[in-house]
Amino acid sequence: MSTSDDVAQRAGDTTGSPAPSAVHAGSGISGSGLTLGELERSRLGELESTEAAAVFDVREFARTARGSHRAELDLAGLEGARLEPDAARLLGVLRDLERSTMQRMRNLLVTATHKDARVTAFLSTWAFEKFWLADALDAVLDTTASQPPVEDGPKRRDRRERAARRGPVRRAVLANFAGADIVGVHVTSGLVDEWITQAAYRRLAAAAEKLGSIAQLALDVKERHLAFLQEDARRRLADSTRVQKLARTELTQQAWPIGSIERPDAERGFFERMVFGGAAGRREAGGIRELIAALPGLAAVAPVVEARLAR
Amino acid sequence: MAFDIVKYAENSDAVAWQDLDFDEFLTNPLSETTLRSIRNLCDVEDHTVCYLRDMLTTPSHKEPEVGTFMTMWNREEFWHGEALATVLGKHGISVDFDELKATRLKLGWKDRLDPIKQSVMSNLVGNDFVAVHMAWGAANEWSANAAYHRLAAMEDHPTLSPLLKRIAQQETKHVAFYASQARERLAKSRKARVLGRWVLQNFWGPVGSTISSEEEVTHVMGHLFAGAEGRKIVRDIDSHIAKLPGMQGLTIVETALEKRGVAGS
Repeated sequence: MSTSDDVAQRAGDTTGSPAPSAVHAGSGISGSGLTLGELERSRLGELESTEAAAVFDVREFARTARGSHRAELDLAGLEGARLEPDAARLLGVLRDLERSTMQRMRNLLVTATHKDARVTAFLSTWAFEKFWLADALDAVLDTTASQPPVEDGPKRRDRRERAARRGPVRRAVLANFAGADIVGVHVTSGLVDEWITQAAYRRLAAAAEKLGSIAQLALDVKERHLAFLQEDARRRLADSTRVQKLARTELTQQAWPIGSIERPDAERGFFERMVFGGAAGRREAGGIRELIAALPGLAAVAPVVEARLAR
Repeated sequence: MAFDIVKYAENSDAVAWQDLDFDEFLTNPLSETTLRSIRNLCDVEDHTVCYLRDMLTTPSHKEPEVGTFMTMWNREEFWHGEALATVLGKHGISVDFDELKATRLKLGWKDRLDPIKQSVMSNLVGNDFVAVHMAWGAANEWSANAAYHRLAAMEDHPTLSPLLKRIAQQETKHVAFYASQARERLAKSRKARVLGRWVLQNFWGPVGSTISSEEEVTHVMGHLFAGAEGRKIVRDIDSHIAKLPGMQGLTIVETALEKRGVAGS
C-alpha cells in the first residue's frame, strides 16, 4: 500500500520532525495571560532547542490542509447575535485580507520565489487554507447579519510605501537584481505579516466575546503558516547578510498588513487604531518589535515597523 | 452551461491514492517508455505555479470566481504531481523539491522575462488578454485530460490506470472552467477572438514544451498519440478547441504532432 511514508521518503525533509503543533503549542487567545510577543519568544526558545531535528514538513502540511470550516463552526449559536460595528468592521477587514492571496501570490511568483519548489508547495496550501478561513469569516458576518458596508475612499499616499505599490513589471524587473535572495525577503515579510494578523485576531476576540471561537480557529490555522515562515526566514536571514539588508529595506517599505496598500486609507487607519491603539495595542506592537529584533540582522528596523503599526 | 464555482470549491480535494496498492508496482512495474512519459507529465503538474504566475499577471485574478478557481486548481495540480512522483518513486526515480528547483533554475532568462512580457502584453491588451489565457488553458487541459485517459487505457494497470482516471476526472473540471470562461469572454469581444486565434496558431505548443526538452515532448506525443487511435483522440481535442468562438478550423494539436513527425497510421 502507498502510505504517507512513501511521500515522506520522497520529500526527504521529514526526519524526526515533530508535528508543528508540538513545537508551537499554546498560541491560544485565553488562559495564558501572555502577550503575543511573550508567547512567541517562549516558542522561539523551544524551536531553537529542537532546531536540529525540527524541519517543517511541507508535504505533511499539504496533505493535512484544512478546507471548509462551515461544518465545525457554531453558526447556529451566532444567529441573531448582531455584532458591534467595530468588531464587524475588523472581521470584514480580516476576511478581505485573507482573501487577497492571489494578489500576493502574483507579487511573489513574478520573482525568483517561484523557482523554489518547497516554498511554492507551501504557498499552494497556504492560499487554500486562507481561502477557507476567509469563507469562515464571511459565514460569521452573514449569520450575524453584520456585513460591514464596502469600504471605499482614497488610498493612502505614503512615500515610504512606493515599493509596495509596484506593479508586476517593475516588481519582476527589480527582483531579478535580488535573484534567489528575494525568497528570504518574502518569507521574512510573510512572517511579520503573520505576527500582525495574529495580533488582530486576538483583538477581535477581545472586542467581541462571541467571536472568540472563530478567532481561535484562525489562530489554529495560522499556526503552521507561522511555523514554516519562522523556520525558513530565520534560516535564510542567518545564512546571508545580503538577505538581511534586502529584508531591512522591505520591512521599512511594506504597507502593513500585506495587502493593505490596495485598501482605502480610512480602513487602514481603523485597523491601526483598533489593533494597535490603546495600551493593550501598544503592547502588541512592542511585542512584534521584539520579535523582529530577535531575527538575524533586523534589530535596526524593528522600531520602524513598530512605529508604523501604532501610528 | 455555467460553471458552478461554489460547488467546485466545496468538492475540491487532493487526489486520493492511499487506497490503491502501490506495491503492485514492485511485482508489476511499468516500462521505461511509460515511466519516461509519466516523468514528463509529473514535471508539467509540478510547474503549474509557473503557469499560475502568468495568469496572475492579467487582471482576471481580481474577479472572485477566477481567484477561487486558481486557488483550488493550483492545489489539485500540485497533488497530481505528488501522486505521479510517488509512482516514479516506487520505480526508484526520485523527484524532490531540490530537483524541481534545479529544473526551474535551468529555465533561465526566458523564465525571468516571461512575467515581464506577460504583464506588458496584459497591460497593452487589457481584459481581452484574459480571454486568450482562458482559451490557452482550455487547450492545455483538454490535452492533459486526453493524455491521462489514453495512458490509463494503454497500460490497463491495476494501480496506475485507476490513479490516472482519478486525475483525469479532476482535469475534466478544469477543462469545464477554462472552456466556459473562454467561450464567454471570446464571444464578447472581436479583438479577443482575433488575438486568441493568432496566439494559439502561432505560439501554442503541447503541454510541457516550455519546460521539457523537445526530445521529451516528442517522446510523450509519440508514445500517447501515435497511430490511428492516437490521431483520432488528437482530432477530438482540436474539434473542442475549434468550437470556441473565433477558433473555427484550428488544428493546433494535430499540427504539433505532425511537426514532430508522429505518424497517424
